[in-house]
Amino acid sequence: MTVDQISVTGRPGTDASTARTTPAARPRISMTGRRHRAFYLFTAPWITGFLLLTVVPMAYALWLSFTTYDGISPHWRYVGLGNYSELFSDPQTWKSLGRTGLFAITSVPLSILAGLGLAVLVNRPIKARGLFRTLLYLPAVVPPVGAGLTFKALFDQNSGAANGALTLFGFDALGWLADPYARYVLLMSVLWAAGNVMIISLAGLQDVPRELHEAARIDGASAWRTFRSITVPLLSPVLLFQTVTGVIASVQTIMPLLLTPDGTTAGVTALPQSNYLYMMHVFSQYFALGRYGYASALLWVLFVLILIATGLIFRFTSGVVFYNVDPEAKK
Amino acid sequence: MTATRVTPEPAPRVRIRVDRLVLYTVLVAVTGLFIGPFGWLVLSGLKTPAELAASPVHWLPAHVQWHNFADAFNLIDFLGYARNSLVIALIYATLVTLSSAWVGFGFARLEAPGKKTLFGVLIGSMMLPQMITLLPTYLIFAKLGMVDTYWPWVLWGLAAAPYLVFLFRQFFAGLPRELEEAAIVDGCGYGTIFWRIFLPQSWPVLSASFVIAFTWSWGDYIAPQLLLSTDRSTLAVAVMSTYVTSAGTPVANLQATASVMYVVPILLIFLIAQRGFVAGMSTSGLK
Repeated sequence: MTVDQISVTGRPGTDASTARTTPAARPRISMTGRRHRAFYLFTAPWITGFLLLTVVPMAYALWLSFTTYDGISPHWRYVGLGNYSELFSDPQTWKSLGRTGLFAITSVPLSILAGLGLAVLVNRPIKARGLFRTLLYLPAVVPPVGAGLTFKALFDQNSGAANGALTLFGFDALGWLADPYARYVLLMSVLWAAGNVMIISLAGLQDVPRELHEAARIDGASAWRTFRSITVPLLSPVLLFQTVTGVIASVQTIMPLLLTPDGTTAGVTALPQSNYLYMMHVFSQYFALGRYGYASALLWVLFVLILIATGLIFRFTSGVVFYNVDPEAKK
Repeated sequence: MTATRVTPEPAPRVRIRVDRLVLYTVLVAVTGLFIGPFGWLVLSGLKTPAELAASPVHWLPAHVQWHNFADAFNLIDFLGYARNSLVIALIYATLVTLSSAWVGFGFARLEAPGKKTLFGVLIGSMMLPQMITLLPTYLIFAKLGMVDTYWPWVLWGLAAAPYLVFLFRQFFAGLPRELEEAAIVDGCGYGTIFWRIFLPQSWPVLSASFVIAFTWSWGDYIAPQLLLSTDRSTLAVAVMSTYVTSAGTPVANLQATASVMYVVPILLIFLIAQRGFVAGMSTSGLK
């Protein structure tokens, strides 16, 4: 404001005509300035928060990753890339990374297929459609702790319904929450929330123009053909979004921890091997061992890997994903 | 819709009826599969410890142990933990809804150099793995002496959530231009325009945002587990780890009852606010 005022009032104009035009010109000059300043004022909370609560912590973690900091010992020192070379030669890093990759490439496609299947099912003209939709979506609303305890109850060695059913049909009871079955319980606990994909796909399905389906039917296309050639392409932006968020969610899931008897971050040592995912490796270094420096190096490697994975997903799908409406025009 | 076919088939009526039968059977079976696990949790919470330990499995409790609810309530300071959860969730949801609306207004209605880049960063930051940033943030909060206080949730609330900012931006961008033009001519500042004109229009988004943020906070486990001592912690943490006898053996039936009591409020909030909640979810998904 002050800059504008100086430039306006400082202008040498003594006769009445200029004096009268200045007030009219002033709002126009300051209008854009006001809008600019207002924009930064309005976005300031997020910009500040992003810098202080995301950029600074990540930079701090990067700095720690070059040190032996453990939060207790005052004699921590700078070790350069020492943590990174240790990390790459640690078999646990590679094993847990492999398990995480396997978990992501099974859980994400399965969740999407399940969610898509549910969406198609409840998009039909059926009775009590709203009720079915709500019931199928409800598990996705259950908080992680609730989901963890639910699956612990369901797959408990003695009191679980899963072993109850197995023994009922003459099979032996299984130690579901231990190796090697724990991974399947983990997978099922994730699939339980497939309602998320269902709800979002459902919104997409309802946007598919009716005429397209009618035209396909008149041409004699089968239901499967219509689904593959019309529904899936039109849903592809939604499916891409689900893939990206699904991969990110599966990489950082804490569900393995919630399925242990203890469940606290200290309980990370009690994890069955098959659920010892990369994030759990980070947790055990961070909380069980207090190796903040080394664990920060692990975090940064994961962060870079996620960026690469996200970039690759976008790259490989750029030709496949079909935007019905130009996404720019929609904004 | 599948029932209407172009090619004539023998006895179409029967086919339609069989199709429907198959459809509803599948539908009921799948729904049972999704509701079943939670049903089992409820059942487990109504049994005695002996029934839970018995083999083979007791499918139904011999006598429904309604008093498990009262016992689960009294074994730990359930109300105290619930109050902590509620206070944190209310602080966070209120602040983050207001700050996200404020930022969303900026992105929807104002222009400035660098806006496109900033918006790109906002969208990109939605995909940042939060668990990765949380761990170093925790160390910083510990250094600043904010462990065992609710300040972290105040800060997270004030910082706006990219996801909710996007929700508000989409809504505000869809409102007509004339809405603020008259106010600008009248000499109102953008703060007034936001507060007096835009915010009162956005009740559906405000409530959706509040409900979404509330469920995030209520469901959050790792942040309170790291940042709060056991006494000041939330219900999520308490339900997970405090249902043990003095000897340290878990009390499985009461833990199940407690987790039902922990989950049901969220389910109820969802059922009440379903429309806005689902609309919010879908907007973000369709981008």
